[in-house]
Amino acid sequence: MTPDTRTAAIHVDGLSRWYGVTRALTDVDLAFGLGVTGLLGPNGAGKTTLLSVLATVAEPDTGRVSVFGLDPRDAAERVEIRRRLGYLPQELRYHRHFTVAGFLDYVAILKEITDRRTRAGEVARVLAATDMERLAGRRVRTLSGGMRQRLGIAQALLGEPELLILDEPTAGLDPEQRLRFRELLSDLPGDPVVLLSTHQADDIAAICPQVVVLLQGRVRFTGTPAELAAVAAGRVWAAAERDGRAHLSWRGGDGMWRAIGDRPPVGAQLVAPTVEDGYLLLSHAADGR
Amino acid sequence: MTDTSATGHSGPDLLAGYAAGAVDEAAAWSVEAHLMACAACRSAIAGQVDAGRLARNRSVLLVRAAIGDDGLLARLLRRCGVPDHLVRLLAATPSLRRSWLLSVAGVLAVVTGEAALARYGWAEARVPRPPRQEFLVPFLLVAPLLALASVAAAFVPLFDPAHRVAVAAPFSGFRLLLVRTVCALAVAVVPVAGAAFAVPGPGWLPAAFLLPSLAVCGLALAAGTVMRPLAAAVAAGTLWALPVLALAGARLPLLIVQWHGQAVCAAVLLAAAAVVCLRHDRFELGWTR
Repeated sequence: MTPDTRTAAIHVDGLSRWYGVTRALTDVDLAFGLGVTGLLGPNGAGKTTLLSVLATVAEPDTGRVSVFGLDPRDAAERVEIRRRLGYLPQELRYHRHFTVAGFLDYVAILKEITDRRTRAGEVARVLAATDMERLAGRRVRTLSGGMRQRLGIAQALLGEPELLILDEPTAGLDPEQRLRFRELLSDLPGDPVVLLSTHQADDIAAICPQVVVLLQGRVRFTGTPAELAAVAAGRVWAAAERDGRAHLSWRGGDGMWRAIGDRPPVGAQLVAPTVEDGYLLLSHAADGR
Repeated sequence: MTDTSATGHSGPDLLAGYAAGAVDEAAAWSVEAHLMACAACRSAIAGQVDAGRLARNRSVLLVRAAIGDDGLLARLLRRCGVPDHLVRLLAATPSLRRSWLLSVAGVLAVVTGEAALARYGWAEARVPRPPRQEFLVPFLLVAPLLALASVAAAFVPLFDPAHRVAVAAPFSGFRLLLVRTVCALAVAVVPVAGAAFAVPGPGWLPAAFLLPSLAVCGLALAAGTVMRPLAAAVAAGTLWALPVLALAGARLPLLIVQWHGQAVCAAVLLAAAAVVCLRHDRFELGWTR
């Protein structure tokens, strides 16, 4: 089946996945449109499982997935999905003896870019996009963690994918590189569907018009970053003293205690919630604390 | 380059052809390589080719240089007409790397040397002992297993650090497996046959290893359609080792490569080939239901 429109994007219905006796995903229903969607959740929340299912790497135990109207259960449609896909797995490992350009060339072949000249041009393009041109001839084994992460992002960009799945792309990047990554996402050609998982709430606030919070394998929130922040509206306080009744509290750099709770600490002032506050409150509620 | 002046510069016809996009790929590479280093020719062609194209071509050339040399085997395969992109895929096959081949040669040297010493003794090189077969047992055991190990390293995901990227790519998993395993097997059989010439056994021994090696590797691939690849390789190796050791216990180790054994190996190879053909879709990894 050939999809007639990209606006269908991605639909996930009733998705569940077990690892032995552990349930990684439970009845996940989601829809993703064009643009960047951020998946937020702690370790073990099911983010990586969900992304690997959408990348056609892992099979769900139950449920259905539709990617651009294509069904990954069908072999031909699965290949078609892969032709449109760029995927950065979590903790991608590399052939360490390859050069940076050699590894990208290898992945480009796997993406069916077989013409030598076209392939070299595409490798040059993603090297420039990730600011790695000067590293093209370096052996992968000599790269730092941040450089390897950029290489992982670069390989995902090969072929100008319509669906970009990035599992913790900012892990290991320094602040400047994270900003460069945000620029890169903003400049992607063709307005692709981008799904990225992260632990960094500020990444979500900065680059994701849509956010999904996964906790304990279940979808706990879908909406905009502003809506996620609003979850904590009226429940975030700044106080001079620590309040033991707060669900969560920590001392900021200014010496003031930031508290998330249902009741205001003594002498506290209500403050504007952030995306992180909303996420922490959801996480606290899911833990049943 | 087909049109180079006596001064080493690209000739006007070649430059004009390049500017018009009318030269073949090899000539285009050659012109671009020359343009990178020659300001006079860049100046001569500047009016015919836009600066953006020259800059892109320069990046492409740098990428080609950064990809690096694939080695002797790759050059040989290209000369034999194997497409460049298939040759590049072999660069990610550990059993085609020099370190692996040296390890294979080392193991073969040890078992061959052991057989020679057992046959002739340390100080009796010119006076062979009465012919016995037991000294051949280590070689009989190890030689096909080395071929199996080479093939296993070419298709067991454990040996492919970027396996998840390969799974999510559209390139056929079965095709990738065939390219890698056939080449790995062909390369592994050469030192095995060479060592068989050096072993003090019957003259037909080098030829007698081909079929068992193919059968054991075929069995591993066929078993890989019903179980995990690593388990399949271990199972196939075990099914070779058990009869070799049993026949060694009966003081008839050569029976495994004599005509009875060859017949069994031929039957196993044919059955394995049939299974692989019928179940090749099992090598399309990832979401396969």
